[in-house]
Amino acid sequence: MELKRRDFLKILGGATVATALPGCTPKKPQSLIPYVIPHEEIIPGKSVWYAGVCRECPAGCGIHVRVREGRAVKVEGNPLNPVNSGSLCSRGQASLQGLYNPDRIQHPLRKRPDGSWEQLSWQQAEEYLLEQLNGVIRNGKGNSIAWMTPHLTGSLDALIEDFLGAVGSRRRIRYEPIAFEALKRANRISFGRAEIPDHDFASAKFILSFGADFLETWISPVGYTKDFTATRAFDAGAGAKYVYVGPRLSLTATNADEWIAPKPGTEGALAMGMVNVILTSGEAKGISLADSNEILAMTRGFAPKQVEEITGIKAERIRELALEMAAAGSSIAVGGGTVLGSDTEVATLTAINLLNTICGNIGKTVRFDTPLTLSHLQSYADLTRFVQSMEQGEISALFFTETNPVFSTPPALNFTHAMTRVPLSVAFSSFMDETTAQATFVLPVHTPLESWGDYEPKRGAYGLMQPVMQPVFPTTKMSGDVLIAINDKIGRRTTFSTSEQPFFEYVKDRWNSLHRQFGEKQEFDRWWTEALANGGVFRPSSGPFAVRWTGTASELSGILGELKRGETPPDFVLVTSPSINLYDGRGANRPWLQEVPDPMTQITWGNWIEIHPTDAEKLNIKRGDVVQLTTQHGVLEAPAYVYAGVRPGVVAMPIGQGHSEYGRYAKGNGANVYALFPPLPLSSSGGMQWSNIGVRVVNRGEHVKLADVAGSDYLHGRNIVQVVSIEELLRQTKELQEGTYKEEEGFGKPGSASMYQEHEHPDHRWGMTIDLDKCTGCSACVTACYAENNIPVVGKEQVQLGRELSWLRIERYFDDPPADPQAPHNPNAEFLPMLCQQCDNAPCEPVCPVYAAYHTPEGLNAQVYNRCVGTRYCSNNCPYKVRRFNWFDYEWPEPLNWQLNPDVTVRSKGVMEKCTFCVQRVVEGKNNAKMEGRSVADGEITTACQQACPAQAIVFGDLKDPESNVNKLREKNKPRGYRVLEELNTQPAVVYLKEIRS
Amino acid sequence: MRLNFVRSFIPCIPLYAFVAIVMLMVMLVAGCERQETGPRQPIAFSHARHAGEYQINCQYCHSGVRKGPNAYIPSVQMCMGCHQLVAANKPEVMKIRQAWEAKQPIAWMKVNTMADFVYFNHYPHIAKGVDCKVCHGDVASMVELKPFVKVNNMSWCVDCHRENKANIDCYTCHR
Repeated sequence: MELKRRDFLKILGGATVATALPGCTPKKPQSLIPYVIPHEEIIPGKSVWYAGVCRECPAGCGIHVRVREGRAVKVEGNPLNPVNSGSLCSRGQASLQGLYNPDRIQHPLRKRPDGSWEQLSWQQAEEYLLEQLNGVIRNGKGNSIAWMTPHLTGSLDALIEDFLGAVGSRRRIRYEPIAFEALKRANRISFGRAEIPDHDFASAKFILSFGADFLETWISPVGYTKDFTATRAFDAGAGAKYVYVGPRLSLTATNADEWIAPKPGTEGALAMGMVNVILTSGEAKGISLADSNEILAMTRGFAPKQVEEITGIKAERIRELALEMAAAGSSIAVGGGTVLGSDTEVATLTAINLLNTICGNIGKTVRFDTPLTLSHLQSYADLTRFVQSMEQGEISALFFTETNPVFSTPPALNFTHAMTRVPLSVAFSSFMDETTAQATFVLPVHTPLESWGDYEPKRGAYGLMQPVMQPVFPTTKMSGDVLIAINDKIGRRTTFSTSEQPFFEYVKDRWNSLHRQFGEKQEFDRWWTEALANGGVFRPSSGPFAVRWTGTASELSGILGELKRGETPPDFVLVTSPSINLYDGRGANRPWLQEVPDPMTQITWGNWIEIHPTDAEKLNIKRGDVVQLTTQHGVLEAPAYVYAGVRPGVVAMPIGQGHSEYGRYAKGNGANVYALFPPLPLSSSGGMQWSNIGVRVVNRGEHVKLADVAGSDYLHGRNIVQVVSIEELLRQTKELQEGTYKEEEGFGKPGSASMYQEHEHPDHRWGMTIDLDKCTGCSACVTACYAENNIPVVGKEQVQLGRELSWLRIERYFDDPPADPQAPHNPNAEFLPMLCQQCDNAPCEPVCPVYAAYHTPEGLNAQVYNRCVGTRYCSNNCPYKVRRFNWFDYEWPEPLNWQLNPDVTVRSKGVMEKCTFCVQRVVEGKNNAKMEGRSVADGEITTACQQACPAQAIVFGDLKDPESNVNKLREKNKPRGYRVLEELNTQPAVVYLKEIRS
Repeated sequence: MRLNFVRSFIPCIPLYAFVAIVMLMVMLVAGCERQETGPRQPIAFSHARHAGEYQINCQYCHSGVRKGPNAYIPSVQMCMGCHQLVAANKPEVMKIRQAWEAKQPIAWMKVNTMADFVYFNHYPHIAKGVDCKVCHGDVASMVELKPFVKVNNMSWCVDCHRENKANIDCYTCHR
């Protein structure tokens, strides 16, 4: 076929016009809808912050919620709340994804006989519920109505009590799977107080943790991390010593100076050995001679030599440890987690109490003046008794408020079956979790961010919660409002029910009585408004009061004697711990928490079984091989994670995955660890046995690809994470003070020759200093970055392909294994937050063919998305591997997209992206300063990662300002400062301060 | 020989055609100026009447420019502030009253639009004393508000920033 030139042009012309025409029609007009009456607090384009309390775990941290045009877009810590003083963990930040979860229940539901759900209106639902309730009450069975909640305090708690009082029932179950039964029991034996004390890590100079993961999930991790850094960081002065005892190298353990792993279940004996040493060497403090003698009598049989036989820890080491603790002046010993779970758990914690007592810590670092309200929880034993009464048909109506016992109890307890024996089970729930799915009737309620409420995590800290926005779904209701309506109809008539906002009035009324109780001089309305703005009322403790040791030798010798039986473990011992991201499983439907890697294993979207290399070799298990665990009560399968971070003979698993319901992000990820737990409570404490369980380990002969983001486990000799010994650091610091300190010279060091022209930064040069000695690896910064910068969650498959989009990641490197494979290997992990280094000589910039990557006058490596054509040259040329490519247009299923930060572009397919140093926050800070006619103050602009960091390891600021904190930190810590891969002469703006090893 | 050479290109013609079409399309779209008339508004509001004839200051209704990025479209309450009494019986003003009584917001049509990738902030411009006219045209003479074409043209923004020694870093407007 001949095609003439002229014909070709004709066709071309016609086709062009045809295709171009639709492109020329004007953009469809959009409407702009202003308010009818403008809201006085809302300025379009500006954020409003509301204070509240985080309800993602019982710690009760204070939060600030950033709201833009009526939508909550970010959650940060509230600096005024003493529980967390301004930082927030990953779970707290992900509460937004509970609020906007696409799998929220939107309508009241009633179960049909065939098991399907029938959608009801609220009126129908309330009528139905009242009819059923009145039926029960009329039959005189009001006392067979029960209510199950997680840990609650304050107004909602009181309202439920009101309800139960009105129907004449006392069946109230406060259930948390992690309920500290053993700690309460041990404290009752030791001090006559069945309470969970508050712990003051900040003033301890020696920290000894027996399995308590206080940097991750134990009691109040954000606050404890803050205190821990304060006492331990080199900056803070002395640098407290910290030793961790337990079978598993948790994140908390790897932050210790030393990890000691005695035989599982014998940790208490180690504590007793230390008590023995301190008493016999006359180092005990704060106790009378008589007490001292009595306690010494209890330690008979725990001389170091004997303890060595029980625990496998050298007697000499025990002696050293004990004397070091006694000499520290102020110390703290805490116990929990993986060392518990056997029948000796109360004895173990009692031994730790003894240790604290003879070191004079009670009333100082272990404080009973502000005990935690968690102390009011019922035990697992109470729950099992309740399940029995359900089975016996004694319960005719059972209410659940935001609790999920079907998932968070051992399946062998058969809570599901017990529920079938209850004619009416009502779930006040936002999500179709396992328990809600088993209920016969579901009332969709607001999430905490949409509700009024109050929460008192510990004595004196009264947190106040307010709805930060209109409900996401107009068809959900506040639990409190529903309850007041029900109370009203069943005869507990109150003045609140006639109000438009009944629960709000109820909360306010309760706070009115608090106001009177405190004898506040300020008038109530002002006090209340202030409390709302501050996120609550925080009253200082009346001061530590003396708590005396009350345990007697006769009472205790039997209990403590149990510790002498060095347990003979079966083949393998299973220890489990709540996951840092998912806690007891309640975070599993938040996509951020699934995608942010577990800091130690770097695994996302699923769980794993940790097993020691020597054991793995025996069973021929490699990383990723599917392993089956069998206990007397259940079986599960999960991929193996082979590493030396568990003691030989121990397998470890994190709790939280393995949901069969609870929404699209939770379902089908990993295995449910509760399946392995025995249904019976431990006889000594009444708690659930979640560790130290005998287990059979079988290699299933299959292999799966773990969705882990770790490039490598080891540094391979590259100095990415640098460590300095304390001796050398002290020498260098002395030199620095004397003015004799010489900086290392070399290519890429500041001042060295370079072929590149230096950049001019006329106004600002943004930079960051990251103190690796403070960083615990908790990953709160990673979640903050996801939230702030609209980073999409890509899902398991894409993570497996290495396509996760995190701008900031925590790199984890284990210490190199010893050359001799038979030698013991302590894989102690170091963490390094890796983000765009904003290099001066940025390798990404010159290779971009379209100038999408360029250097701004403020020293940032900008990425202009509209210029980017996706060649990915920049990413190939980036030595830090911090650039991320959008392989797809990622979606945020409605209403998850409501969370998107309106100040940050949502990137589309084919675009490269990376950390911007939160340029939107920088611009906002500069604009605020401009509006007030001043220059930007140091510390005024914080990046999202810095704001979230509980350890305050990240400091951001202007390098041009010699007085800025970021500069001063560098100056003060000159010997510790280094830049990653600086030999490449990239001149990064991020300086890391070396980790310190003692 | 020469013919063969030409023939060897023939199978590629569809490809050339495609490339040419795409390039032309891009050029056409880029050159495609926006309409000279504004969208039809739900109420025939006249800026010429308010800003021109009665000399009401722009910032009386668009007070947001002093506070932050957005200028604001006035709320129904704001309109009613005057129209409770002023010209209360005119048909177009009645529409405002209806909205006020029904507590329904008025869905005004957006006139000046910016690319999604632009983060414009009114405040710094107002603080520097930039006249609204510079970017919005002579609104005081517009009965029906028309888009000011240049607002959607980056080089126009950059020129002005250059002339006034304002920041021309990409991050000033894009992030």
